[in-house]
Amino acid sequence: MTAPSLEDFLLLSVDLTAFEETDLLGTGMAEGYLEKVRAACGDGIVAALLDAHRAARADAAAENGNQTRTPLEGEAFDRALRHRVFSDDRLGPVARNIIKLWYAGMWYALPPEWIDRYGAHAAVGTSTVTAASYQEGLLWRAIGANPPGAKAPGYGSWARPPRIADRYLKGARR
Amino acid sequence: MYEKFPEGAAQRTDPAVAADDLYDAVIVGGGISGALIAARLSQAGRRVLILEAGPAEDLTLRGYEDYLNRFYEAISKDNQAPYPALPNAPMPRGTDVRPIVPGAPDASAYLVQNGPFATDTTYTRVLGGTTMHWEGKTLRMLPEDFRMRSLYGEGADWPLSYDDLAPYYSEAEREIGVSADVEDQAYLGITFDDDYVFPMKGLPLSYLDRTVAKDIDGMEVELDGVQRRLRVRPFPQGRNGIANPDYDGGKGYVPQGAVSAYQVEVGERCQGNNNCVPICPVQAKYNAGKTLAVALRTGRVDLVGQAVAHKVHIDERTRRVTEIEYRRYDRPDSPGFTTMRARGRLFVLAANAVENPRLMLASGLRGSSGLMGRNFMDHAYLLAWGLLPEPAGTFRGTVCTGGIADLRGGRFRSRQAAFTIDIHNDGWGWARGAPMTDLISLVDSGSRYGASLRQGLVDRVSRQLQLAFMVEVPADPSNRITVSPDFIDALGNMRPVLTYDIPEYTMRGVAYARQLSKRIFARLGAEDHTAYNPNFWGYAVHDGEGYEIRGGNHLAGTHVMGRDRTTSVVDADQRCWDYGNLYMVGGGSMPTVGTSNVTLTIAALCLRSARAMLARLDSETAPVNVTSNRRDAAPTSGKAAW
Repeated sequence: MTAPSLEDFLLLSVDLTAFEETDLLGTGMAEGYLEKVRAACGDGIVAALLDAHRAARADAAAENGNQTRTPLEGEAFDRALRHRVFSDDRLGPVARNIIKLWYAGMWYALPPEWIDRYGAHAAVGTSTVTAASYQEGLLWRAIGANPPGAKAPGYGSWARPPRIADRYLKGARR
Repeated sequence: MYEKFPEGAAQRTDPAVAADDLYDAVIVGGGISGALIAARLSQAGRRVLILEAGPAEDLTLRGYEDYLNRFYEAISKDNQAPYPALPNAPMPRGTDVRPIVPGAPDASAYLVQNGPFATDTTYTRVLGGTTMHWEGKTLRMLPEDFRMRSLYGEGADWPLSYDDLAPYYSEAEREIGVSADVEDQAYLGITFDDDYVFPMKGLPLSYLDRTVAKDIDGMEVELDGVQRRLRVRPFPQGRNGIANPDYDGGKGYVPQGAVSAYQVEVGERCQGNNNCVPICPVQAKYNAGKTLAVALRTGRVDLVGQAVAHKVHIDERTRRVTEIEYRRYDRPDSPGFTTMRARGRLFVLAANAVENPRLMLASGLRGSSGLMGRNFMDHAYLLAWGLLPEPAGTFRGTVCTGGIADLRGGRFRSRQAAFTIDIHNDGWGWARGAPMTDLISLVDSGSRYGASLRQGLVDRVSRQLQLAFMVEVPADPSNRITVSPDFIDALGNMRPVLTYDIPEYTMRGVAYARQLSKRIFARLGAEDHTAYNPNFWGYAVHDGEGYEIRGGNHLAGTHVMGRDRTTSVVDADQRCWDYGNLYMVGGGSMPTVGTSNVTLTIAALCLRSARAMLARLDSETAPVNVTSNRRDAAPTSGKAAW
């Protein structure tokens, strides 16, 4: 079995996070995160997740007529991801953990029932990846804030409105 | 201004040599109280020894960066996360708290909780003390806070008035470096000298504060027949802002930068890290290390770290303290220790309102008034949380830039507790662990990923508003710190045992706070998400309604000051009635806690006491007999139990 590639991991991560590949690479954490996932789940499961993601993209492309934009959006792709990845007993928890890994910089322990069934490799409990991973959490960028304790925005910046991407600011609803 | 923590200051004092020395003052504790007193005494030519329970190397730049990295790597980012847990000098941690089963004290963590109410209140046992993790809010107390008994028949009167303390408040504001504007801070009787300005200009209100102010400014509240209008008001802050050129009659003010690092890198104005608690990464926030660095530079201050005071020895005949016996552990990560002693003309216990009485009681010194350890106070925090109609940019700024202070004082205090309301720039972090808990629930149970997750975070986190009601707790002798030989720490020191209940008076304030929060949310058009969990460790029921009450880390009242030795432990100078050369300083001396965070008042009291100490040292010229009758004056070795 060949080791899961960083390229495939990034492609998956872009769809899971809705941040561009350049943003993800810009965190400097991509390699470390892939390593963390491999250590926690084993290459077999990571490869299966990447395969399922590729298949979901193919499903959506077939339905939409070869749309290949990244991140892939739309009803067909969403449905394919839900069916092939998120609802899968083995792959769903891993996919959700990868989202949290990118957003929080933290690997959360997988659910106990997952570890019972698939977790031969899973001795990895809740842990940070490095001191930097907390600072690189995408969560903070999503809400237009800095990770508390790092990347200070500057004196008085807090008096002005938050810099949240327009699309999400306007889409905000009660 | 750049202050370097003197190279090797933590190592240069040999405790064995110090044991044969007679200092002008021996200070237990290297927090803000000890630092200010050490600075003032040494600047006046006096020689001082500071005993610090923590390792005392933390104020080098490397030590500070170790704190930061520990914080970044910590899974739980609670208010002690950056600081090392040491078995030889343990400290309470908010995450320790458990619900208390009636009749069974919870001894699972350092602070033994006897109940009936459990609290997550903490203090930090490192050099610099709790100012390392404090938020840095520096409200003055109200004039009426000093006269609670005569005005409202509740709590106690101080032996000092606001006017007595006002000059020391100004001095404390200089030492700490307070950013505020007088026009925002002169209310409910708080007065300033005519030409007074704060050292630095006030920090701007956050966008969140401004969003709240649009609807809340002018909101009318009637309480006890008196009509008031609320407004969102900036809080004075113990962190660097823009220096005010008008300070000190036009001389201006030079902010104190980071200790041991050049100002170009860190230590200038607050940069909005949103992390005041547990650690300011750039030292824009004051910590007592800034004062300690100044004190150590005089060359007249010796510092011994890893030195945990074990016993205060007294001479019954002269009614004076003869020495402090302490246990100096060899290394933070090993149990070996040596028993040492420290001697001086004056002794100053500056540990904090839990550790001060703990040490006295462990030494068998209960005080002739019987009040040692009694009247423990803190603030009782009630949180209320909701979602604003629009994104308000939560999680930006200092932890708290503004709030509502209009209900800090008034006639209603004869019936119910007053409070200050904080608008928390860190959203529901304190109440519900936001934003990580929001992320987890959106991903794990909300089926969110990609764009829908990003939208969900903006909807759910950027609209968060958390109000924190800081409710006063009056002195009650049955709320107290005690010790018991049943509870000993690794080094053989008796651990503090806390017996604490929230008085009815406070609960009436809490109940009113909850009602007011509902009105505020309704006026804002906010969704009220407040829900109090009956299984919460600090759940308290009043009039059939339950509330989650949290600790404030604003420890006070355990050695109260007063005019009369039968009703207080220390006098207005914080000198013990029982022992002529012993001062117990800090929050423990406060007879009321009012509705302001305690550090500024502690600093003002200590600056005032430092003058009294200098006067006493000047007046005492008689030689002190340094050969006490202890047979075991030589150092002895021991081994901690861990």
